[in-house]
Amino acid sequence: MKKRLGIISLFVMLFIAFITIWNFSYEKGMEEGYVPVLEESPNNSYIPAERGVFERSEFALEYSSMPVDKNHERSLDSYYDNRAYHGAPPSIPHPIKEEKSLGGNTCLQCHQNGGFVERLNAYAPVSPHPEMVNCRQCHVAQNSNTLFKPANLAQVHAPKVGVNNAMIGTPPMIPHQIQMRENCLACHAGPAAPKEIRVTHPERVNCRQCHLPTDRIVSEITPFTRTNSHKNE
Amino acid sequence: MYNSLSTRRSFIKKMAKLSAMTAAASMFPGILFASEQEQGIPNGADLEWKKGPCRFCGVGCGILVGTENGKAVAVKGDPNSAVNKGLLCVKGYHQTMCIQSKDRLTHALVKKNGKYVQTPIQEALDIVANKMKETIDAHGKDSVAMYTSGQSTIPEGYVASKFMKGAIGTNNLDCNARLCMASAVTGFLTTFGADEPMGCYEDIDHADYFITWGNNMAEMHPVLFSRMLEQKSKRGAKIIDFATRTSRSSTASDRSILFEPQTDLAVANAICYEIINNGWVNNSFVEKHCNFSKGLTNIGYGVEDKFKFADKPEKIDFSAYKAFLKEYSPEKVAKYSGVSVKDIKYLASIYGDPNKKVVSYWCMGMNQHTRGTWMNNLVYNIHLLTGKISQPGNGPFSLTGQPSACGTAREVGTFTHKLPKGVVTNPKNRELAAKIWKVPVERIPSKPTYHATEMFRAVDRGDIKFIWTQVTNPLVSLPKTSRYRPGMEKKSCFVVVSDVFPTPTSDVADVILPASWHIEKSGLYGNSERRTQHWDKMVEGPGETTPDAWMTIQVAKRMGYGDLFPYSEENHVEEIYNEYRQFHEGAKHGMAPLEVLKKESGAIWPYVNGKSTQWRFNAKYDPACSNGEAFDFYGKPDGRAVIWQRPYEPPAESPDSEYPYWLNTGRVIEHWHTGSMTRRIPVLHKAMPSAYIEFHPDDAKALAIRNGEQIKVTSRRGSCVLPASINERGLPTKGQVFVPFFDENMLINDVTLDAFCPISKEPDYKKCAVKIEKV
Amino acid sequence: MPIKSYLAHPHDGQKAELVKALSDIEACEVMPATNENILVVVTDTLDDASEEILKEQIDKIQSLKLLALVSGFNSPQN
Repeated sequence: MKKRLGIISLFVMLFIAFITIWNFSYEKGMEEGYVPVLEESPNNSYIPAERGVFERSEFALEYSSMPVDKNHERSLDSYYDNRAYHGAPPSIPHPIKEEKSLGGNTCLQCHQNGGFVERLNAYAPVSPHPEMVNCRQCHVAQNSNTLFKPANLAQVHAPKVGVNNAMIGTPPMIPHQIQMRENCLACHAGPAAPKEIRVTHPERVNCRQCHLPTDRIVSEITPFTRTNSHKNE
Repeated sequence: MYNSLSTRRSFIKKMAKLSAMTAAASMFPGILFASEQEQGIPNGADLEWKKGPCRFCGVGCGILVGTENGKAVAVKGDPNSAVNKGLLCVKGYHQTMCIQSKDRLTHALVKKNGKYVQTPIQEALDIVANKMKETIDAHGKDSVAMYTSGQSTIPEGYVASKFMKGAIGTNNLDCNARLCMASAVTGFLTTFGADEPMGCYEDIDHADYFITWGNNMAEMHPVLFSRMLEQKSKRGAKIIDFATRTSRSSTASDRSILFEPQTDLAVANAICYEIINNGWVNNSFVEKHCNFSKGLTNIGYGVEDKFKFADKPEKIDFSAYKAFLKEYSPEKVAKYSGVSVKDIKYLASIYGDPNKKVVSYWCMGMNQHTRGTWMNNLVYNIHLLTGKISQPGNGPFSLTGQPSACGTAREVGTFTHKLPKGVVTNPKNRELAAKIWKVPVERIPSKPTYHATEMFRAVDRGDIKFIWTQVTNPLVSLPKTSRYRPGMEKKSCFVVVSDVFPTPTSDVADVILPASWHIEKSGLYGNSERRTQHWDKMVEGPGETTPDAWMTIQVAKRMGYGDLFPYSEENHVEEIYNEYRQFHEGAKHGMAPLEVLKKESGAIWPYVNGKSTQWRFNAKYDPACSNGEAFDFYGKPDGRAVIWQRPYEPPAESPDSEYPYWLNTGRVIEHWHTGSMTRRIPVLHKAMPSAYIEFHPDDAKALAIRNGEQIKVTSRRGSCVLPASINERGLPTKGQVFVPFFDENMLINDVTLDAFCPISKEPDYKKCAVKIEKV
Repeated sequence: MPIKSYLAHPHDGQKAELVKALSDIEACEVMPATNENILVVVTDTLDDASEEILKEQIDKIQSLKLLALVSGFNSPQN
């Protein structure tokens, strides 16, 4: 009896130890993966985050050997066709594989690494934020071409290509917001990139070495003024 | 007829070239041709292109400036430059846009009854010369001072040195490179006896590992970082980031290791401990080429006026050094450095692996350090113990922040203790200077006077009664400006400021002299890899703007030293450089002749028999090696480099209950130093319109601070109000805040501490204690 | 007055030598690719005879692996 009790208590101990260790390591794991997000007020926040800038998915194409496939290129027009206005999340222009899924595993199968999809005869665009897995929170399917009621939506003009250089021949500035799109190369490199905005040198990867965002979020940036200068003006 | 035929021929040639390029492109998609880039400029086909070095950082990229109708309208990377191979960073591409700024200083301004009055330049120079002479007559030679820059060209630095030390006869000359490179200099001199890195940028193409010590290269030396990233993707080279703040470089690196401020001293010693403990020492290298030494400890922080310190080196042996390292086992160091035992061992194993080539990079993190000289010594120790030095892909490499911190401040020697060759305390060096300058040797004083911080303390105390600053903005860049601004405003000191734009420093000037910008004059710069680069004047400056060297010469002439400055206005740059070259003749520091520099995109010294020397101290590459061995550290009399025993010592000020946070300061990619140029470039200003204060999210949460809120940061010296930034550009370690210093409207240097390394006298801008309040 | 353009392939690691050797010949214009192991060479000679000599001269360069003609033009002499 004593022996049996001993064995049982040993197993209970082992079980408790297992639970605590497992919990501890789980907590630890959560800690490392957790990037604290504070409630942010957008005021004065003119510095884009650095999140995901240099991230690459495991099976993504090498930047130095990105194929160019002229027969299956996207153009900027078709890119914007898929968005309500520039900067809006694109809708899903193809049938959805798994209607119940919130996105993650299903969408990312193609949209994390990119690559050619035979069925749709196109290259899958790469998501700049694959860590946000609730895809269909923002991206919805287009299942109908008719409207409930016609509307007078104001047309917002998307930034133009080729006019964003500050001087002749200098690298163009970034004419759009980059929140959640900090990883420039997701849209600007590879066979799925619209041909007008595909960069010639994706292998350089440190994009913001030469290209800076100049688009304002809330208020206009006034020219540099010296507020501390009290004398010689 | 001939004309049309030759155009036809050139057209056919172009066609032939184009068809070959098209053929090549079909074989290698994405192929690039240097001259194709050079010609691939849209519209503006009539641009005239001229080469030069970039105006900004110490990387020294080659640029080509396109001019049209006498105006600079385009900038691109020089594809023939070995430094950047055609690539620049965003500051480089847009640099010429600042020249046309509306508030450009175009005429001399003289303060009369509290107001600035536009004055003809000749009259302003008369006033400067008279005032300087009067001050010397009334108060002696050491009552006047000059404060120049690591952005001064080689000729500008040279005439400043000749003027102060050779003509007037005072050592009251120092420069802003004291604030950024002095610890690197003393580090080199104590370990190797010869200043400046032994390797070159080509190391990047050979190294297996890049270890960056407190250095955010992705933002501060972006073009070099790009070269590293290229090697990373091409050859699988690895980047290890060792820092106190998670920056853009950390996210791009293979491994980011964070440490607590000041503990880099201990970690470097722990790496040496591991190397010795695991038997990774390159014994034959150490036996043949190294000595061991120790210096004084508890050396102070220089926070008090007239602080004096002289180290007393003492030879020790390897066993004494080993015994000293016992205190620095990874287990002991991990306790206070915040670096895990595993990470310390990992770093040591990279340095210790004989089959891995390692380059260490650092800049301000190690130099702006109250133990900066020690820290430089300690990293050299690691490379010396393992023999990984002076070979392609192996070596310590100290980066610079200013375009000519090496070329002018260090090589010409615009420091109080320096001469163009050697130091003022050495009679032989004084004799050489006197001979070339054609002045009596007694006129060059043998005792150094004020280093940068002490110079402005002397202004505040009233000891210096006349100061002339050139190409620098000390009232934004000095530490503890809360003391030095009121100091410079005092009536006791006459202040002359030469600059291109109005700055907080010119605000306190009695005379403001309008200087020519970079491409409005000819000049020479020297970058971090000992590369000297020349450029010709490309555009005319506005109004009465004048090159700094010429203004110095004009004042010298007015003071009666005309015979020492027999240069012509059109050609003074060449004449001065040719005179200066005599100082460095020989295999150890020979400079390339001007004809070569005009033709090529820079040349690396020692320039011997028409060849740049890429790796110094290595007999295979360096003709100055003469001991018959593979390596010769000829800076030291016995040809041996020194492994220094340097302990960990705490910083001058640490957080306490009243001031609980560390304050770290630095730069951002968009702005360069005090922002007087880059903030006048619209695209850069739009991308980064003001400074900010970075928090760790946990600290922000504890203080209930949200992004964009106005925060007051206060130290024992002063305070500053800035918007908060959480999880944006960078992430300081917990308990630390970070502020970039470029913004003259938010002067963070009112808050910093003017403690410095007692050996190099370079201030520590990276560590002081502050408290945080919401406004 | 023939003008011809070629693609020149250097032996491994000898691109710099090849660029130098070709640049030393006056009638050759060389344009190395910055990111691939290949050079564009344009030759410009007075007549067919000097063209022949030049070709022989180029073929003798040690670091040259392969020279491929891309296009050729010949304008009448006057």
